[in-house]
Amino acid sequence: MSSEALTTPARHVRRSRAGILTLALRDLRGGLKGFYVFVACVALGVAVIAAVGGLAASMRDGVVRQGGLLLGGDVRLSRPHHRMTPAERAWLQSGGRVSEMATMRAIARRPDGSEQALVEIKAVDEAYPLVGELVLSSGRAGSGTGTGSVRAAGGAIVDPILLERLGLKVGDRIALGALELPVTAALVSEPDKLTDRLTFGPRVLISLQNLEKTGLVKPGSLVRWRYSVKLAGASQAPSDKALDAFRVALDKALPAAGFVVRDRRDPAPSVTRTLDRLREFLTLIGLASLIVGGVGVANAVTTFVDRRRKVIATLKSVGATGRTVFAIYLTEVMLIAGIGVLIGLALGSALPIGVVALLGDAMPLRPEVTVSPLALALAAAYGLLVALLFVLWPLGRAERVRPAVLFREEVAPESRWPRPRVVVAVIATALALAALAVLTSDSRRIAIYFIAALAALVVVFSTLGWLVTVLSRKIPRPRKPMLALAFANLGAPGGLTRAVVLSLGAGLTLLVAVSLVDASLVAEFTTRLPKQSPNYFVLDISKTDRQGFVDLVRRTAPGVEVHEAPMLRGRLVSLKGVPVERLKPPPEAQWVLNGDRGLSYSETVPEGSKVVTGAWWPKDYQGEPLVSFEAELARKLGVGLGDKVTVNVLGRNVTARIANLREVKWESLAINFVMVFSPNTLRSAPYSVLATLTLPSTAPVADEARLARVISRAYPSVTAIRVRDVINAFSGVFAKVMLAVKVAGGVTLLAGALVLAGALATSQRRRLQLAVILKTLGASRRQILTLHMIEYLLLAGVTAIIAVLLGGLAAWVALTQVMDVEPTFTARAVLEALGVSLALVLAFGGLGTWRVLQARPVPYLRSE
Amino acid sequence: MAEPIIKLDGVSLTLTSRAGPVQILKSVDLAVEAGESLAIVGPSGSGKTSLLMIMAGLERATSGRVRVADKDFNALTEDGLAAVRGREIGIVFQSFHLVPTMTALENVALPLELAGAEDAFERALALLGEVGLGHRTDHFPAQLSGGEQQRVAVARALAPRPRIVLADEPTGNLDGRNGQQVVDILFGLQRQSGATFVLVTHDGDLARRCGRTVRIEDGAIVGADNALASV
Repeated sequence: MSSEALTTPARHVRRSRAGILTLALRDLRGGLKGFYVFVACVALGVAVIAAVGGLAASMRDGVVRQGGLLLGGDVRLSRPHHRMTPAERAWLQSGGRVSEMATMRAIARRPDGSEQALVEIKAVDEAYPLVGELVLSSGRAGSGTGTGSVRAAGGAIVDPILLERLGLKVGDRIALGALELPVTAALVSEPDKLTDRLTFGPRVLISLQNLEKTGLVKPGSLVRWRYSVKLAGASQAPSDKALDAFRVALDKALPAAGFVVRDRRDPAPSVTRTLDRLREFLTLIGLASLIVGGVGVANAVTTFVDRRRKVIATLKSVGATGRTVFAIYLTEVMLIAGIGVLIGLALGSALPIGVVALLGDAMPLRPEVTVSPLALALAAAYGLLVALLFVLWPLGRAERVRPAVLFREEVAPESRWPRPRVVVAVIATALALAALAVLTSDSRRIAIYFIAALAALVVVFSTLGWLVTVLSRKIPRPRKPMLALAFANLGAPGGLTRAVVLSLGAGLTLLVAVSLVDASLVAEFTTRLPKQSPNYFVLDISKTDRQGFVDLVRRTAPGVEVHEAPMLRGRLVSLKGVPVERLKPPPEAQWVLNGDRGLSYSETVPEGSKVVTGAWWPKDYQGEPLVSFEAELARKLGVGLGDKVTVNVLGRNVTARIANLREVKWESLAINFVMVFSPNTLRSAPYSVLATLTLPSTAPVADEARLARVISRAYPSVTAIRVRDVINAFSGVFAKVMLAVKVAGGVTLLAGALVLAGALATSQRRRLQLAVILKTLGASRRQILTLHMIEYLLLAGVTAIIAVLLGGLAAWVALTQVMDVEPTFTARAVLEALGVSLALVLAFGGLGTWRVLQARPVPYLRSE
Repeated sequence: MAEPIIKLDGVSLTLTSRAGPVQILKSVDLAVEAGESLAIVGPSGSGKTSLLMIMAGLERATSGRVRVADKDFNALTEDGLAAVRGREIGIVFQSFHLVPTMTALENVALPLELAGAEDAFERALALLGEVGLGHRTDHFPAQLSGGEQQRVAVARALAPRPRIVLADEPTGNLDGRNGQQVVDILFGLQRQSGATFVLVTHDGDLARRCGRTVRIEDGAIVGADNALASV
């Protein structure tokens, strides 16, 4: 064989490969006209995912880099109830500098008792803060801020909100328990706030000596002791090895101390976990907007190849194979998708910088904006995969255009399936996309559900869109010609219906579902709960005060219902002998293992709960320690009857056997606990009493306030928490979460709006043509306007109704199956969906109609 | 003598293009009597179609007076013009311009429905029978041949029984046999109804079937009747 014979085909192949790119670029000389929506759809979704990823990475980096600052040291130990013993302290101080602090909830009052508020006390020693700065306003108006510390002899440094609430100013006196002390400064910021638990009241900073004087700390009171340690010998951040060594030594030296230990590498697991969750959730929302935008991509490509039919036929008539045609156009649209991805990445990288510049000061810690290559790569991968998924089908059909198209006028557009290999490619791309979403998500189960729901949404809405077109063709022709024309337009092949129903429908469904869940939860908090729930939770009633307290309450408010239970705090150490650190429970049960829980004991089944498995212990039971576990959590944690549970209470490990499982009606807000022990297990421990006070529903609000005043005057160390305040605080947090979800849903809706705009632009020429024909036949502008309005109203109405039904179904499932909340239907959610749908369709459609009405008819009537 | 049904006095049309203003029609005077059939002939780009569009009220003259079916077009609003078209003027285009989402019957009934006629479908059905498409009433335009589509368009133009029928190259997109058929139908219906007929065409044979012919060149009328020889 000659070398010629070998090289020629090879050269030919090389040239033909280059040829496809050249041909694609040549075809793109016409510019990106008709692809703006395509590019915008890809860019929007990619930008959301890139921005979310970038912001989350920046914040995570910030948390880790500022770990020492957030912890107030290299390592922090904490435990409830039990202050460090001298031996423990000695051991700890041998490792480095130590700062001690205590946190607890209490009531702060004006000295005259006229005003009071729930506060979060943080009592610190003079070493506080070991790391970072405490920023105070000096108290004189307009004199700026400075740093400071809490001196032993000093007064209280308080959150300005508390001053406002109590009507006090810096220099006035404030009462905490049995102590009155002056307010010496207003607090601007504390370095370790992010690692504190969720706070319900404003902060009050005092010295540890003053905390003792308040008399608030009694055996069993709910105080948490914390110890920040700056390791000796490490002027800079200690190495991972040093941190690990310290933790190992601590385990060995103080094995049963019951400390929760955090180090600077992961100072706030709950914060990083929340960040990760938020990132995953928002990434999925970004993916949803990309998928919705994908409809716009598919529409743009369909229109594009329709316009290129003759070019495709010409290429084929000069010898191009279907495969070549497919390759040329795939190269072309993926190049355009690449432009969208690049724009999206640029926007997505810029967004975190803007967010930090605008909101950085309001964030608990200032994130350091970092470009995360991983986040960008992920966003780009999503963008390209979604684009590929949605262009394959229309391109697969285009490759089957027959050259005969050149020789006859277009009759009915042929609707042929792509070749099998293209169908396989579509399926493979969809699977790759799903795999990417699931594999990059920590909570894979949620990702799978989300992808399944998204796929279902796309299938349901495209089926419904198809159904609407079919029905519009099948229904008997209405008598009114404009109505008939509107239906004909809805049923027209290549019309708006399917694109609009699918693109708007998905976003609206999300909006409706969120609104309905929101409304149901708000109804649960605001109307349903208070009717059956107590007015006050009272904490820290000492064993000795118990009877006196109950008598006082009954005297002050006749008809009051008092329930009480002993309460201590303790940490779960192991389940079935396995240390909790090694357990991997589902996310919704993780909280039980984090930090300390309220524990109680009882002779009888607590009110508001019912034993579902096993039996309650007899009165005066004296045998092996037993515990009753909440049934749902027991199932999630994988424990059952007979299993051993070890808790650390006041530095002592207590092991009990599960004797029964209880179902608890938490929403009754009656006193209840995950774990209730047999009395003999915990009776000897120093506990405090927790009580709920329920006033008759007819009692005026003034009685409620009076009761709190009387209690705080007689028992200054007791903390009465008004349930309504807690609900309000929770509603506030909840409202912010719901707002974030709504904003995220809004992005999906924005993608829908883009697709809608694209679909309307595509159909604009057809609309103009029809309007001009109608004008020549004597139709007035009003009649044409009516026609368009009917079409838009039908489209928006149908889409909104379907979205309300599906969104309602999703909300119902979420409420009844996941959240166990009674669904509340609100007309607002429906009206919102209708309103948004109408507004979008009328806004974009109206613009098109206005242009239709302005157009000169003659250019459209002349033959081409 | 009765007033002409179409009367153009000094009608000019200037359109702005990227290259600047282009004068399409230059002070055209033309009168068409009721019941007359008139052919407008001339080379491509001479302004024939523009003249027809001005008669239809689809284009407004830049200057000059336009009076059609006893109405002063200069004084009418766009909707006023549409109303005149709906009642008085039927138009047939070279490219048919049927509504693709409507059947043949619905297309023919459309102008009657727009005018609020109760018997729109009965009349449309009768007309489709007259143009030989009684068996294809439920077909969509895409399912009809070019000749059939143009016959539907003719039926639609004549459905409101207009006093004036305007046709712009009605056979331009059709082959000889189909074109001949459409023209026969068009002239037959015109004779039946006594409508005034204005036809724009390149086709000399077609023009000769009209009672009168005017020739237009470069936006101005350059001759009548005798100019036919050079078509």
